[in-house]
Amino acid sequence: MKWEKIGKVFDPTDHVLANNCTEFAQAPQALVFDEFIRVYFSSRERDPVGGKCRSHIAFVDLTKDLSSILRVSDRTVIELGKLGCFDEHGIFPMNVLRHGGRVHGYTCGWNRRVSVSVETAIGLAISSDDGITFQKIGDGPVLGPSLHEPFLVGDPFVRVHDGLFHMWYIFGTLWRRFLPGQPPDRVYKIGHAVSGDGISWEKEEGRRLVADSLNPHESQALPTVVKIGARWHMLFCFRESSDFRENRDRGYRIGYAWSDDAKHWTRNDAVVGIDVTPGSWDSDMLCYPHAFECDGKVYLLYNGNEFGRYGFGAAILL
Amino acid sequence: MTSASGFAWRKLGRVFNPADVPGRPWMREFAQGPATLLFESFVRVYFSCRPPADETGQYVSYSAFVDLDRGNLFRILRVADRPILGLGDLGTFDEFGTYPVSVARDGDNFVAYYGGWTRCESVPFNVAIGYARSRDGGQTFQRLGPGPVLGYSPDEPFVQSGPKIRRFGGRWYLWYIAGQRWKVVDRRAEPVYKIRVASSDDGLSWTRLGHDVVESRIEPDEAQASPDVFFSNGRYHMFFCYRYSAGYRGKERGYRIGYAVSGDLVTWARDDARAGIDISSEGWDSEMVSYPHVFALDGRTYLLYLGNQVGRFGFGLAELDGTLS
Repeated sequence: MKWEKIGKVFDPTDHVLANNCTEFAQAPQALVFDEFIRVYFSSRERDPVGGKCRSHIAFVDLTKDLSSILRVSDRTVIELGKLGCFDEHGIFPMNVLRHGGRVHGYTCGWNRRVSVSVETAIGLAISSDDGITFQKIGDGPVLGPSLHEPFLVGDPFVRVHDGLFHMWYIFGTLWRRFLPGQPPDRVYKIGHAVSGDGISWEKEEGRRLVADSLNPHESQALPTVVKIGARWHMLFCFRESSDFRENRDRGYRIGYAWSDDAKHWTRNDAVVGIDVTPGSWDSDMLCYPHAFECDGKVYLLYNGNEFGRYGFGAAILL
Repeated sequence: MTSASGFAWRKLGRVFNPADVPGRPWMREFAQGPATLLFESFVRVYFSCRPPADETGQYVSYSAFVDLDRGNLFRILRVADRPILGLGDLGTFDEFGTYPVSVARDGDNFVAYYGGWTRCESVPFNVAIGYARSRDGGQTFQRLGPGPVLGYSPDEPFVQSGPKIRRFGGRWYLWYIAGQRWKVVDRRAEPVYKIRVASSDDGLSWTRLGHDVVESRIEPDEAQASPDVFFSNGRYHMFFCYRYSAGYRGKERGYRIGYAVSGDLVTWARDDARAGIDISSEGWDSEMVSYPHVFALDGRTYLLYLGNQVGRFGFGLAELDGTLS
């Protein structure tokens, strides 16, 4: 693969967003319209007391060449969850797809824990107004922890192929205090589930789709899958599971795997065709990739330094 | 509701008080959610107990058992010398407790379903249902995996607890409770939960009924727990407990025992007037009665239940006059 970088597309600090969000435009996810591309992202509101953050979904409408901003959402796109619900403390990310005349939003909901920082699960919300607002099908998740995927089920990417819903997502395998004096960090891997209706899912229950390349404690996140010809291509991000936030040598990079049957995946990061650019907004980190097709071209949206604090950029597949 | 005549339970007294058991600091107080398994010469009662609270007032919960003489249920033969299951690993659903537990025979094995407890920031806890097996006759259990066997769903968003495993007509049934909302009362989040049921062929993959099993009676936010189903005289009899959503830690609004009956395991008619057991005028069960469990033994029908402070001081026994019909 060879990606040509378009550059940074959107910086949230240049705009006024709903829900007191000021920084971060994470995990961009595209919904293609005839005249524009709507990109959903997660921005952050900081709690006045305690300083913890809550992620909210917002969107920006872009021209189809991604060069100009047409509109930025100024109202709530989807409410956070009620007291005690899986998505009470944030939604990050939300993957969108058109289905049956409506738009499905698969959310990764966050809630805070005591012994570890967070737990996540995957919810479903539906939009009947072309993606301006989404309503949840229930207070609880459609995909959460199970016997062999015990926590941190999240980062959904859903597509329908031959009438079957496929979800690529991540599940946690370990919480561990890797470094003395530091809070516990987590390890997660990429999994797969299928569904006939998009609501009731059957997991492969603990099967890790993509081999580790760093070491067994590699964390893999936000898979995105695009089919080109007969071959399935998956991009995702991966990193070390400790000391990854500020150490550029241990932070997120984009990995790659391919499959000809959507079941067995061969990892080959060497051909992913995109890396950090020294001196640029993505000099230290590449994360949260999202591949999509528009007018016969394949694009990649992604975040750069600091997990997307100052926005997202794009690349086009050559 | 038209009541047939109520059942007549004769209270026999308190069977077990964890405070009487020496040498087990993890069993200092509470004996909650009693559930029986019958052996040739004894009745094993599984229950859940707690060590003292930590410096912040937080508890963990363990599950254990006591073996009662089959010929005299007030004679204790043995108390588990360690918990039947350890706590879950860091970040797992059962890191802070395994309560309550329900055990059944599955061929030569014993299977346990239990509520696994974790701690949350905005609400005090969350619960999901775990699964473990025993290969030593029900003395210790091992998890099949680190996650829950029954977790959250769109209309069962949190607090899935109180599992009771039963087998009817060759199929597994799991009655449990599912949280519906967290209600803030005096700045404290209180869970409202309702009785639910799922069924399964293998005990691992569950199909939920997807709606409340028993209607609410005392208020819409009534909390229901301990759905204990027993088959007798051609009908399914469910004893359970219920309480008000606020102010329920005292006598007036605390747990009482309710009753519902079904001919098909799907439709239940609630008729609390038939339950036939209430609080005593004084003693260990003078403020509340809760967590009923019915079992038959050598021609008699018994009820185990909790008293004040939801089992803090152990569980007691009542015997039915006649049979459930």
